[in-house]
Amino acid sequence: MKHDRDGLMVACRSDGKLVRRPLSPHLQVYRWPVSMVLSISHRITGVALSVGALLMTWWLVAAAASESAFATVQEFLGSSFGVLLLMGWAAALLLHVFQGIRHLAWDAGWGFGTLAPQDPVGSGTAKRIYGVTGWGVVGITAAATLIVWIAGLAAWE
Amino acid sequence: MVAFSLPANSRIKQGKTYPAPAGAKRVRTFRIYRWNPDDGANPRMDTYEIDLDTCGPMVLDALIKIKNDVDSTLTFRRSCREGICGSCSMNIDGGNTLACLKPIEDITGAVRITPLPHMAVVKDLVPDLTQAFAQYRAIEPWLKADTPPPPDGERLQSRKERAQIDGLWECILCFCCTAGCPSYWWNGERYLGPAVLLQAYRWIAESRDEATGERLDALNDPFKLYRCHTIMNCTDTCPKGLNPAKAIGAIKQLIIDRQV
Amino acid sequence: MTKQSNSPQFDILRSQLKRVRGLGSSHSGSQAWWAERLTSIALVPLTLWFIASVIGLEGATRADMVAWLHAPVPLVLILCLIVTTFWHMELGLRVVIDDYVHNNAIRIAMLLFQRGLCIIAGLFCVIAVLRLGLWEGGS
Repeated sequence: MKHDRDGLMVACRSDGKLVRRPLSPHLQVYRWPVSMVLSISHRITGVALSVGALLMTWWLVAAAASESAFATVQEFLGSSFGVLLLMGWAAALLLHVFQGIRHLAWDAGWGFGTLAPQDPVGSGTAKRIYGVTGWGVVGITAAATLIVWIAGLAAWE
Repeated sequence: MVAFSLPANSRIKQGKTYPAPAGAKRVRTFRIYRWNPDDGANPRMDTYEIDLDTCGPMVLDALIKIKNDVDSTLTFRRSCREGICGSCSMNIDGGNTLACLKPIEDITGAVRITPLPHMAVVKDLVPDLTQAFAQYRAIEPWLKADTPPPPDGERLQSRKERAQIDGLWECILCFCCTAGCPSYWWNGERYLGPAVLLQAYRWIAESRDEATGERLDALNDPFKLYRCHTIMNCTDTCPKGLNPAKAIGAIKQLIIDRQV
Repeated sequence: MTKQSNSPQFDILRSQLKRVRGLGSSHSGSQAWWAERLTSIALVPLTLWFIASVIGLEGATRADMVAWLHAPVPLVLILCLIVTTFWHMELGLRVVIDDYVHNNAIRIAMLLFQRGLCIIAGLFCVIAVLRLGLWEGGS
């Protein structure tokens, strides 16, 4: 079955002629609550980490293959660019893991706030627990990333 | 590939400006999305300057004042003006909410008003909600019970059972949550969206309903339910303080409960 | 409706209810969702262990890698990490492609490609690790 995305986009105007309706603005106007930022960051880091997994594959296969192949990959990872890449990978991984834990908590039923209506209401102003956990993920990721970077740079020689 | 930018016919141009009357002291600027199917033009943003001393406190009051005193062609849905009918849902200052419940004082700077996001626009601030209501109909929002009701009275429900639908029955189907969900933006024709899923859970949690299994069967689909990635925009924006994300989480838990 | 070139027309006249009901529920979707959660849970400790190991292995030689993987704990953990990572990665990329790619033919091609890539890369990693840990081969 054709999934027509045009279902509501064509309509009649006053004189009966067909007209194509506009699509109302979305990303162009919508505000960015912390959970939305973390959500798209979780996705972006996920895709970046998929590329990183291919880097890990190169690392392991080179190690298994030969001394020279492994020396090549270690030299790359030890270069300034390689270290920068590893630092970025570590940051992406830590954000993905901590936001992932927040997701797992939601899947277990915790961290949404109450089902009963929150009072007082007002879009974006209701203080629910997921706002707190969201900023918590940002803080913990920043701290953990700093620790891993310092440890990694200290070991880099 | 999903289009993150607006199609050519939807790009918004600069529109007209209607300045405040002379001597007005507390002036606020309202930038409002306008589109008329009879024009053959792209949508535009018109600017209205309103004297708050002669206007009620809510954004809807400003819209009505504009329609009465400044520009009668401004078109928007409204009815109860007290946050119970769900008609005046729109995007105000970046968040989806009911215009009648949004105090103008809550917003700093110019008040930007656009229709509910990623929806086909009928005119000005009126989106086409036909698909959303069809999705509501598709989840069969009525009591399904094989057991006949008792002949002498109503179907019984304890206080505790009744409490399980608190936070679910209060939904006024304004669709602020659905129109704020990025997953619904990209896959609205196959993903049911938070409002409809909240109502689906309302009937799943209903103690008097006997078709729970069928309802869960109908939702167990990679698109109808599982396009929800817990982005949390729905709960964040609900003008009635409801929690669609939590209800959707509960549906997912029930589906796993019966297969694990 | 009259058809004119370059102007809008109604090609599909089914009701909105038929449109949203589509082909009905597929009764699947929970399996992939659950697998994504299970792999996530396993990956939390495995990943943190891996980060610590990588820091420890900075500047390592091939001999260091062989020694590391000769011990049973790192060998088993890295095998778990590899399988779980590529499984989790396949599930995650599947969701991203389903979200953004709407052309059915392209979407299915991309899904097949990414799944193939995950399986092949995963196998490369497993074989490499087994070679280093069990069969101390290579030059």
